[in-house]
Amino acid sequence: MSSSREDLLLRLLLLRLLHLASLCLQSLSLVASHACHPPPFSHLIPSAHQNSSINPPPSPLSSHVHALVSPTPSTPFRCFYHRRGMAVSGFEGFEKRLELHFSGHDSLGLRRLLCDALAQVLDAVQCTVVSAVGNRYFDAYILSESSLFVYPCKMVLKTCGTTQLLRSVPCLLRHTAELGLRLRACRYSRGSFIFPRAQPFPHTSFAEEVLYLEERLPPSLAFRKACVLPSSGSHSWHVYSASSADDDERLAAGSWSTFTVEVCMTELDRSLARRFFRKKGDERSGDAVGADMTDLTEIGSINPRTLVCGFAFDPCGYSMNGLDRDSYSTIHVTPEEGHSYASFECTGRWAGGRAEVLDSLRKAIGVFRPGAVSVSFCMAPNVDENQVRSAVGDALEPLGLCCRSQAAEEFPGAGTVTYQTFTPHRE
Amino acid sequence: MGGLFSSQSTAEEGESAVIAVHSAGEWAKNWQSHTQSNKLMIIDFAASWCGPCRSIEPAIKAMSARFTNAVFLKVDVDELPVSKQWKVQAVPTFVLVKRGQEVGRIVGAKKDELQRTIQLHLNM
Repeated sequence: MSSSREDLLLRLLLLRLLHLASLCLQSLSLVASHACHPPPFSHLIPSAHQNSSINPPPSPLSSHVHALVSPTPSTPFRCFYHRRGMAVSGFEGFEKRLELHFSGHDSLGLRRLLCDALAQVLDAVQCTVVSAVGNRYFDAYILSESSLFVYPCKMVLKTCGTTQLLRSVPCLLRHTAELGLRLRACRYSRGSFIFPRAQPFPHTSFAEEVLYLEERLPPSLAFRKACVLPSSGSHSWHVYSASSADDDERLAAGSWSTFTVEVCMTELDRSLARRFFRKKGDERSGDAVGADMTDLTEIGSINPRTLVCGFAFDPCGYSMNGLDRDSYSTIHVTPEEGHSYASFECTGRWAGGRAEVLDSLRKAIGVFRPGAVSVSFCMAPNVDENQVRSAVGDALEPLGLCCRSQAAEEFPGAGTVTYQTFTPHRE
Repeated sequence: MGGLFSSQSTAEEGESAVIAVHSAGEWAKNWQSHTQSNKLMIIDFAASWCGPCRSIEPAIKAMSARFTNAVFLKVDVDELPVSKQWKVQAVPTFVLVKRGQEVGRIVGAKKDELQRTIQLHLNM
């Protein structure tokens, strides 16, 4: 598929205009949608999108893609820290998340992927398995940089630092094809990097990430959308989805009983974050120390039914995977001051499980007492997003957190994605 | 069965000494010989559908070749209901027993932790 240069420039110009128009619309709707006033995000750069160096994709986007991409603001490096063998300034806690859905003819599906195949996939991403466990419904792996969950028909890969998450895609597609599994849907999401300039290709920009996926996903995933959900600060929520079926088909198939919630926390309470540092002279394994951290911080009681596997990294850092029947939960902590970060993610059934999920959210956030939180739900399109947003606001209120911005977007075949940001009430 | 020599290296050098138990009769027999000895026994509860079980298998085989004064048993949770008696919720689960009593348990494919725990109990 080739285009003349003029055609390409025209398309880019159109995209830019669309982008600017959408930014205006979004900021208008933000102001109008709720009574919260825009806060000072003291740790974030107040005016985003200043460095308007949009890197346009070098080839035309497919006609189904509505790309509203915005550049990530550059953040000055504030500290130099060696961790997990990387000599870059500050460990990047913010994760990149990839969710892939497959269809096949057997009950095991993706769980039949051989260890070698998985190792190759993780190699491409540049991470390794640290600990793993499974139950009847799925396998859960703790990685050197976050987590991997393998269900028969679904895989969730979440990695932080400077991993090249998207490089898992071509490798995975090869191995799953060998098993007779077909990709049905893909969703990629992430927040805004604290150290965006440290990110390698293709994570140098959202546009680059979208293009990378566009070029590698099969054309059968015809329903695609890329969107950046804004907040009132400089952080955004980037989402790309591609699906072979649209909303109607999926609703009819009843494939939308579960939701996913992703929570990102920064400016962790210092004394609480210190609990995620290994004590000097403690020679025990990462599993043993991790189990201690799980107990000490009461992460184990966020959901009492959950089987929790925690792991403590050296010299600091913590990861846990939780298993509760067919639902997973996962927490990752970068406790270093200056760029502290923690994430909490879980799946659940909205119908009948709502109170429990909101309770888990509140408890998980309570473990860290962060200075800033973002909460993003991905759920069936027929769920009332206003109800969800106000329920989350209510759940976080006892923690003294106030909703500062909220946004939502429909992704055909993937559902509704919400994005809310919170900071503590001012005295 | 093997375990002719202890080895510090990988599974390629030592022969696996893991006893795979497939029936209630085999279980009973192995349990009886355990209670009649003073040896540490490590029961590996695993499942064929579990990726993490597959991933740690080579390491278990290597450990069985290395720790010749311990007994390694492998039970498929779908084949034998004994896993319910041992309250196995996830796989792999490693239960360490001595003189018929549980002395340690590791849930998950935690190679380091398992090895340390085995060594700890062997040194007791």
